[in-house]
Amino acid sequence: MAKIHLDHISRVEGHGALTVKLDGNTVQEVKLNLFEGMRGFEKVVLGRSYTEIPAIICRICAICSAGHAITAHMAVEKALGISVSAQTELLRELAFLGMFIESHSLHVFALALPDYLGYDGIADMAQDHKDVVTTALQIKKTGNCVQELIGGRAIHHINTTFGGFGKLPSQAEINELREQLANRLSAMEGIVELLAGLSTPNYAGEEILFMAVRPAGEGYGFFGDTIVFSDGREFPAEQYQIAFQETENQYSNAKQSTIDGLPFMVGALARINLFGDRLTGKAAETLAKLQIPIPSKNALHNNLAQVVEIIYALERAIEICDQILAEGLQAEPLPDITPQTGQGIIATELPRGTLYHSFSFDENGLVTAADVITPTALNQASVEQEIAFIGASHAGQTEDQLKFLFERLVRAYDPCISCSVHVVQIKEGHKHTID
Amino acid sequence: MKAKPRIGIYGLSSCAGDQLVLVNCEDELLTILEAVDLRSFVMAHSNNPEGELDVAFVEGAVTQESDLATLKDVRSRAQILIALGTCAVWGGIPYLSGLGTPLSDHVQVDYAITGCPIEKTQLLKALSSLLRGDLPLSLPHPVCLECTIRENDCLLQSGEICCGPLTAGGCNARCPSHNRACLGCRGASHDPNYESARRILEEHGYSVAEVRQRLALFSGKASVKEGTQVG
Repeated sequence: MAKIHLDHISRVEGHGALTVKLDGNTVQEVKLNLFEGMRGFEKVVLGRSYTEIPAIICRICAICSAGHAITAHMAVEKALGISVSAQTELLRELAFLGMFIESHSLHVFALALPDYLGYDGIADMAQDHKDVVTTALQIKKTGNCVQELIGGRAIHHINTTFGGFGKLPSQAEINELREQLANRLSAMEGIVELLAGLSTPNYAGEEILFMAVRPAGEGYGFFGDTIVFSDGREFPAEQYQIAFQETENQYSNAKQSTIDGLPFMVGALARINLFGDRLTGKAAETLAKLQIPIPSKNALHNNLAQVVEIIYALERAIEICDQILAEGLQAEPLPDITPQTGQGIIATELPRGTLYHSFSFDENGLVTAADVITPTALNQASVEQEIAFIGASHAGQTEDQLKFLFERLVRAYDPCISCSVHVVQIKEGHKHTID
Repeated sequence: MKAKPRIGIYGLSSCAGDQLVLVNCEDELLTILEAVDLRSFVMAHSNNPEGELDVAFVEGAVTQESDLATLKDVRSRAQILIALGTCAVWGGIPYLSGLGTPLSDHVQVDYAITGCPIEKTQLLKALSSLLRGDLPLSLPHPVCLECTIRENDCLLQSGEICCGPLTAGGCNARCPSHNRACLGCRGASHDPNYESARRILEEHGYSVAEVRQRLALFSGKASVKEGTQVG
């Protein structure tokens, strides 16, 4: 029996290893070991004030830190009955879009594209494709500029607070940002042409399921109250604990999730498969140009689905800037908050997929229970399923070829392993002790 | 230093935010990559040659055996080892949870760039110093000084628990400049004004214990034993 082992998967965030045991064209075993060290968010949040939760929780992950910070604010607000203005929602959406532009650009251009063009990384790729790399970095930078402006910092936002913001951007800053976003949208055209010319190997599995939050309203987006599976099942986000099941395993620090024993995939491809028909404008054109068959069961198409979402995020961010420029921003007083007993559950879509935050508080606003489930943890079982599938369908290839295929597939999920290791789960009345 | 110093970038248990700050230097990244001989950066590059290093940057806290093994291996191969970010310098949130320890508990750390995450400007300055053959300059002053220079309204005076007087500067008072109290994410300052901060906080009805709990989020050991510094 052949054993293929990748001891440290490169060009992904965090520490992960993969072991695949093959017997002829039968895959005997696939183990994705996310061995990132635990950092004890469980212990830190318990008994702490609601005021500190977003700043602690966003440290779970840097790349999608804005998503953690904003989702945590929303969950606390729900638990404590704090209402939020339409303006705050709009600015939070803008911050989210900045995160999508930055995170997807990082993954597509710096981490995944070298596989398509035959390089070990962006440094090598820049030797031969300096123009593409320079343009890609500028697009990524714009995502960070959005986050700097709205979040106060590109990583671990500091400007978001309960019910609003510490400081609002000026019209001049929004105007400048709008110009930058429009330039990047034009710059993406050449990149889309390049990507449309690259071939994506067929990794399509038969049984792959998808899950995403249905965007509120008619359009595309990342906020909503209902989670939807590609087999038609749907649940209120608040009932996520009955929607799918989490299990622990011996070999990974992250829990696996399945629905009736079936793995499911979350992320850009899941969103495009489920809600891509809601896209308009250049995002819809890009989806057609990149020839992603909808629904696509090829996890590698997640890379291209992220490209579509970069275009969507740029277009939507421009729309928001236009709205702000037309209507202006009003200084809004921050709400007076009275701590109360309660629970808040929020599901949002982050670059890598659905994020669940659930926090419970006592009458003093201190945390009594917390649960965070991240996209990479959700994707873990799906990665193993798809590795088993391509291992079987590519039997007979050399060990080096299989290693490349496997690593490329894992990378297509854009794993964020810091996020995935079972970060927060404390149940009421069960004080979690680790040492 | 050699024309092209051999650089390695490593992450232990962390959010990867400090490595991401390097990748977020979009305007400078290609210049940096041309100026150094990048021997290892697993987050961004495959097939890393490793070997002897002139400078190693290490992010994250030590929370497990594999972290310690990586750290010791990197230390044995590196001329200069730089702790990158609050978790590596102070232990950060992993220290508070009792799961993680800072790098200096295990190996000699030659220089520390603190912050959660580190500031891009500080990283770029450190890189240029290293390329010139110098160790980077330390910033001894607290956030409070930078805040005063920016002429912000004092949040302590308006009754908020602001950790600015006790926290290492270098962020140009980012949070207070957004009307948000400093959370101490950069760890303890080398030159804090404990007495003054204590007096102001007590005047507004906060106890030292409350402030210490706030500071403890990021400051690791320094918050437990006042005045303890990392060299």
